[in-house]
Amino acid sequence: MGSDTTLPQWASEPCIMGIDEAGRGPVLGPMVYGCLYCARSYEKTLSSLNFADSKTLKEEKREELFANLKADESIGWAVDIIDPRELSAKMLKKNKINLNEISHDSAIGLVTKVLNMGVLLTEVYVDTVGDTEKYRTKLSERFPGVNFVVAKKADSLYPVVSGASIAAKVTRDRALREWVLDETAEDLHKNFGSGYPGDPDTKAWLQHHKHSVFGFPTLVRFSWGTCTPYFKDIAEVLWESMDDDGSSSSNGKRQLKLSSFGVTTSKRKIEEIESNGKGRCKFFLARKLEQVTHF
Amino acid sequence: MDKGIQGTINLRRNGEETVDLSGKVHLLPCCIKYNGPCDVSDYFKPKPTGMESEGLKTQEACFRGRKLLGASVPIPDGYSGFVLGKKSLDKRKASNISEGNSNFWEINAKYKNITYWNHDSLPSQDDAFLRSFHWLAVAKTMHEPVAAEDLVSASAALEKLN
Repeated sequence: MGSDTTLPQWASEPCIMGIDEAGRGPVLGPMVYGCLYCARSYEKTLSSLNFADSKTLKEEKREELFANLKADESIGWAVDIIDPRELSAKMLKKNKINLNEISHDSAIGLVTKVLNMGVLLTEVYVDTVGDTEKYRTKLSERFPGVNFVVAKKADSLYPVVSGASIAAKVTRDRALREWVLDETAEDLHKNFGSGYPGDPDTKAWLQHHKHSVFGFPTLVRFSWGTCTPYFKDIAEVLWESMDDDGSSSSNGKRQLKLSSFGVTTSKRKIEEIESNGKGRCKFFLARKLEQVTHF
Repeated sequence: MDKGIQGTINLRRNGEETVDLSGKVHLLPCCIKYNGPCDVSDYFKPKPTGMESEGLKTQEACFRGRKLLGASVPIPDGYSGFVLGKKSLDKRKASNISEGNSNFWEINAKYKNITYWNHDSLPSQDDAFLRSFHWLAVAKTMHEPVAAEDLVSASAALEKLN
């Protein structure tokens, strides 16, 4: 999503761009990366447009400023909406991708998109994610022609970043407001509050939408530490790839036995894992087949 | 070696139609420590990816935040999938039956296909689950009567090796 693709005249002048994120902390909903770019010669005018860090603005003010920046022909913008399902899936992959890496990839994606449109980016301002210097090096190596400024609180220091934060925040709020739950169970509602772990509405929503088997609706970021206490009261799920959360470190590499799936009523413990395969023919080992003698 | 125990499966239900769970049986790459009813179709929403992988039409779904990739495969011809339950015998009867034959099972449902899921990786013919079906062909061959000409060709092949 972003401003239309016909390249404005000013885009062939040296341009600056700001990148910022909204919804990094919340336990639910998408994380949105936004960028805003304009000709360097427009920077002064931009400063007079009263863009400020989106967090310091009221919702109506943000909506108004977003409408203004969309209408402004001297400004371009784009957003990348990262679905909570994607966030969970990436952070819970067998080879886990952490949130910083996902954030970096999103920012890199936005820079790539704007450059591919033909905008002459010379300077890009980004808020710090992880180690400032490492992030700057990563971006600079990826885009040698662009000067990167990576700074803490970039959203309050640079108007282009403030503008980007408004685009991101408004987009996230809208996405959440218009969210259609995947789940079709009755008794689900959308009063999830801000999504921040400390928000009482969010807490109440999580408590109400907890499911003994499925955990939560897919709006929730399952990889968030906030979810962990809720998972203590529901059915435990063991994955083959669980290796570093300690809960199954001793047998994580081994396949779980069929009896663990509740198929048999054997007296053997449900936690029992597959035999180590000693003496079993290779043909059966490779196919995870085992003779069942007690059932 | 462990001799194991014997059991009996009753394939017939008294007059009732067996529930057909075709299209509803899923094999997940995890162990869910829960037994009981669950509103699966309200929460588990597989979608076709539109992609094929090694001849398998792939689907995607998520469970507990993990991305699952799966494929629906038919139970091979001549075989059926069953959901079995242990038949509970009333106590007086059970006490009369010796330990050896108190192991009765009955069919709760049957299915003609099963959808199996991998965590992250696309379904492949190399997946252990699909490969486990190889056993059916091997078992069939092993139990087929051996004809005289088979023996001749087998010994001829053996001689060549030597």
